Amino acid sequence: MLVAPALVPTVAVLVAGLAAALAQSLGLVPLVGRPELSAQAYLDVRPDLLTATGLSLGIAAASSALAAGVGLLTALLVVRGAAGRRLLRFASAVPIPVPHLVGAASMGLLLSDSGLLARLVGDQGSWPALVHGPWPVAVVAAYAWKESAFVALVVAGALATRVASYEETAAVLGAGRWARFRFVTWPLVTPPLAAATAITFVYTLGSYEVAWLLGPVHPEPLPVLAQRLFTSPDLTARPQALAVAVVTAALALAATVATLAALRRTATWR
Amino acid sequence: MTAALAVRNLGRDHGGGQAPALDGLNLDVPAGSCLALVGPSGSGKTTALRLVAGLEVPDRGDVLLDGRSVVALPPERRGVSMVFQRPLLFPHLDVLDNVAFSARVAGASRRAARAAAAPFLDLVQMGGYTTRRPGQLSGGQEQRVALARALAARPRVLLLDEAFTGLDVALREDMHELLHQLRAVLEPTVVLVTHDHAEAAALADSVAVLSGGRLLQHGDAGRIYTRPASVTVSRLLGGRNEVPGVVVGGEHRSALGRLRLPTDVAVPDGPAVLLVRQEAVVVTGPDAPGADAAGTVLAVRAAGARRALTVEVVSPGGAAVQVHAETSPGQVFTRGERVGLRLPSSAVSAVPPEDAGTEEPEIADRRTADAGRMPRTHRVASPAVPDAGVRPDAPGAPRRRNHHGDHGT
Repeated sequence: MLVAPALVPTVAVLVAGLAAALAQSLGLVPLVGRPELSAQAYLDVRPDLLTATGLSLGIAAASSALAAGVGLLTALLVVRGAAGRRLLRFASAVPIPVPHLVGAASMGLLLSDSGLLARLVGDQGSWPALVHGPWPVAVVAAYAWKESAFVALVVAGALATRVASYEETAAVLGAGRWARFRFVTWPLVTPPLAAATAITFVYTLGSYEVAWLLGPVHPEPLPVLAQRLFTSPDLTARPQALAVAVVTAALALAATVATLAALRRTATWR
Repeated sequence: MTAALAVRNLGRDHGGGQAPALDGLNLDVPAGSCLALVGPSGSGKTTALRLVAGLEVPDRGDVLLDGRSVVALPPERRGVSMVFQRPLLFPHLDVLDNVAFSARVAGASRRAARAAAAPFLDLVQMGGYTTRRPGQLSGGQEQRVALARALAARPRVLLLDEAFTGLDVALREDMHELLHQLRAVLEPTVVLVTHDHAEAAALADSVAVLSGGRLLQHGDAGRIYTRPASVTVSRLLGGRNEVPGVVVGGEHRSALGRLRLPTDVAVPDGPAVLLVRQEAVVVTGPDAPGADAAGTVLAVRAAGARRALTVEVVSPGGAAVQVHAETSPGQVFTRGERVGLRLPSSAVSAVPPEDAGTEEPEIADRRTADAGRMPRTHRVASPAVPDAGVRPDAPGAPRRRNHHGDHGT
């Protein structure tokens, strides 16, 4: 009962929203005509859906992996009190309050073929198409920049109070630097790192604005495809948009369930 | 497995112009023996242990194991294990894997490491808990496992940093017994840090008393309690009796009368404070033969099975002094009762009085705390020594009286 105030709106929004999207994508809430259970919307959007899914999973995987790596390294350096700790702390905290759209715009100004880096290098003609090009480099970079700060924050918070004393204990038991990382720090850091990376992955998978601003024009990532179809003047494309949204939600749910299942198996979680 | 530990002129600075955390520490711990580092908080005892372990780098001095300097070696290559106040068992490993940790990081397979660890777990009577997680153990069990884990690393020196402080009294005594057994079997060189002088007495062969980062005295555990080098050491070891007086020809003269000092107490003639531990003072009937002094019971306080008495002795000249004593179990005394006091000559000692201005702040604090426990304060003019080393909770201490003006009961 005590959790009801939090649980009721969460479940209501989630269930009602998803149910409505699912129903509309399956032809149960047509704009005109009789409701009829049909997978037509999924079939209509299938070619675009497959490429968009591949692209979105690629963007999410690449940016989450980068964010995990950079975030973990930053967290370890901050927690261990490495030289330049204050600067590092500041640098790792800055991306957190910056809105995604602002971060994406900055990344665009930095990486585009008329951007700051291209100008600094001086040869704008041979500058690779990082923004809107065939490879979503700028999208991955923008997400990785923003989410690495989030990963660093979560991991540093989980480690801050414990890692130093456990590492000292390991040292006086004969563990050198590498053994301390392998047998102590890594097992301790895995659960918060996995959780933070999974959140990053799911967020990136479903996030629209950065992919829209910096991503390839074609193929489109899932959220951009869904948004384009949903706002299309052709109102019959609405079920297709919601079919894309349902697939996106299903992928996010699958990633979450897989992460939780993996976390439950780790020793520290038990 | 065991090694002699020597510390030479070891120092560690706080930085920022503060007094050093540790200054010029010299200690010798023979192989297989147990040294207790005793002192108040901030005395530098944990710093000393961390410098020996290699967890901190000294600003001066050297640490030698079997005569070879280890000060340049990282902690993992010193062969020194340490048990901390918190057990710090690795939460991702079960009990046996925790004990197997040192073998594992040394390159053994998990199976071999676990097999090598099992006897150490048996040694601390935790053999039946191999697959438990640290969170499923009690505090005492966790500390036993931590001890087994440290021993399984086969250290040349075992360091215990207030390892038993967080345990309740019964568990702590169990751990003391366990450490005795482990020492008999494995004979490790042990250095333990404690602020509990009773624990030091129970476990150690020798005791080193630190205060303000400096070593005040290092001596045999049996003797240091009855032959403290100074009033400060006596207080840090829990001694409560300080009787001001003068020494003349090997005899201490005070409000208690004339007491012959043991021949090994070498104190020059002149003002001197008589020190005798409260446990050593024998309380008798007022007219019992052999009593060194007679006085009136000012306060009776429970101290476990014993009773702690505060007895006021007034000399024929009018000088008064308070003597603390602990009675044997079964002896009953009441406030206001006349009693006799016997101070066995082997347990008394005398040291030159200390200048109150040079004492450590902790001591001053403790004194104030002691003062708060005193039921009464008696103004006494000691004709023999008007102001020699008068303890502020003893007669004629205006500063304390100002703080606690309500001593009358």
